[in-house]
Amino acid sequence: MASATVIEISGLSKTYGSGSRQTAALRNLNLSVQQGEIFGYLGPNGAGKTTTIRMLLDLIRPSNGSASIFGMDIRDHSVEIHRRVGFLPGELSLWEGRTGQQIIHYVASVRGDTKGITKQADEFAKRLQLDTSKRVRDLSSGNKRKLGLVLAMMHSPDLLILDEPTNGLDPLVQQTFHEMMDEFRDKGKTVFLSSHILSEVQAICDRAGILRDGDLKAVESIEKLMNVEFHWVDVQFRDAVPEGLARQLQGSSEISDVDINGSRVKMRLTGDFDPLLRMLSDGYVKDLRVEEPTLEDIFLAYYSDGREAR
Amino acid sequence: MIGSVFLETYKQTWKQMVYWGVGLAAMALLVVLMVPLFDMQDVKDLLETFPPIILAMVGIGKELEIFATNEGFVAMGFFGKSALIFAVYPVVMGMRITANEEDAGTMDVLLSLPVQRARVIVEKFLAYSVSIVGVVVLIYLGMQMGVLIAGIDLDVARLAEVTFYLIPLMVFIMAVTMLIAVIVRRRSVALGIVTAFVIASYMLQTIGAVAEGTAAEPIGSISFLTYYNAGDILAQGFIWPHIAGFVVVSAVLLLASLYQYERRDIAV
Repeated sequence: MASATVIEISGLSKTYGSGSRQTAALRNLNLSVQQGEIFGYLGPNGAGKTTTIRMLLDLIRPSNGSASIFGMDIRDHSVEIHRRVGFLPGELSLWEGRTGQQIIHYVASVRGDTKGITKQADEFAKRLQLDTSKRVRDLSSGNKRKLGLVLAMMHSPDLLILDEPTNGLDPLVQQTFHEMMDEFRDKGKTVFLSSHILSEVQAICDRAGILRDGDLKAVESIEKLMNVEFHWVDVQFRDAVPEGLARQLQGSSEISDVDINGSRVKMRLTGDFDPLLRMLSDGYVKDLRVEEPTLEDIFLAYYSDGREAR
Repeated sequence: MIGSVFLETYKQTWKQMVYWGVGLAAMALLVVLMVPLFDMQDVKDLLETFPPIILAMVGIGKELEIFATNEGFVAMGFFGKSALIFAVYPVVMGMRITANEEDAGTMDVLLSLPVQRARVIVEKFLAYSVSIVGVVVLIYLGMQMGVLIAGIDLDVARLAEVTFYLIPLMVFIMAVTMLIAVIVRRRSVALGIVTAFVIASYMLQTIGAVAEGTAAEPIGSISFLTYYNAGDILAQGFIWPHIAGFVVVSAVLLLASLYQYERRDIAV
């Protein structure tokens, strides 16, 4: 059964200022996110991730283009959409003088179901080990983040929009968060998650979009992104590096980023291993390690001008 | 749920309402307690020695007889130019409707919920209007307490009119602040403009009062403070056209804020 499109973005752009001071925060974004997937929206600070999210939530208005969530236009049906969406901002600000419990009650009352939602909130808070009786001003940044997650998830939304969700969370809570995301996906729900932490996207997302300077550079499944044809090769010789090996390595079109340190050589290999093994045969290889490229390597490859990951 | 933003706003505000109300009530109490210490005829004689410009600056017109009564003394001492003090509370509340929440970033959380921008503004506006009523009621209670303690003869009904006349005035100031904050977005800029507006209104009213009978007199009518004159209220009671004016203009300002807020980006 084909899954339904939850987020559909068409030619979305956002510019700020006017005349010579005009700057584009996002250019001609086209993207769709399907039901039941966790979509990672990757990019460094200032790439346009938060701008996209704030437009999806109708907090700021597009300069051009359109977007729909659950088949409804983000501007015309924002209230209906927000009923089914949970949101965690990147820089979470809450009412400082109120306790977690009071804020949960407030948000639940605006959502129109105080009893059911607060019960679910209590369960999430317990799971995240969050004390909701404290005032927001007395919470650490990590605990504020936990409260933000509770507020985003407590009404069982069909779509979660999370901006840098694990910022400030300790590793144990991050693990719990990953489990919660898996459970969320298992229920057929959708997550749109922005992050600059590649390992996080790699660990929990099904697909990722890579954003740079307001342009979407690529959208691929995590599996496919990981399946690029290069490896990191780390060779440890018993004796010194064989004479002439450095020249041979640097002369090869399939080898790059060569780093020789004593009797150790590190390099990036694109293509087959055989030519490299022949070059290494002049020395006694004590140890040889091959590492898959991380998403960070792929990310950097996309970002390096004139050289894109294959 | 309808009313949830109103309720939460009120919960977040009631303490400030009490602090402001008790503070202003203490001022009112003090002024009432001072009444037995003065011979009102002496006060009138003293006032007659002042040049009109000085009297205009403290909100006293040429009808000095009114101010030679106990009610007039209280009106002059408390309600005269302390209208500027009464402007502070509604400015603070007006900033809270959108500017403070946008500045703090909490507006993003609120508007990501299933609630229209217009509903947020209307419910907050109503909640802060109720808090203004609360402050004014506390002022009135302070005054009443003073009357009881001092055991003086005071036309309480007339003073009630002067006091409760503050409500439309303060709601108007809050509405002006809200609209400016909605238009300029930035809290600090909005605060600067509102302060300039209140001070300019005070200056225009003073010029209009001093220039009474000259071609410059109509300048005073530009100022909203001209429509809150304790002496006039003591003499005439509620001046309904002025009250209606404050209410209508406040409603127009609210509608303009709703229109503008619906169109623009939420600031961060």
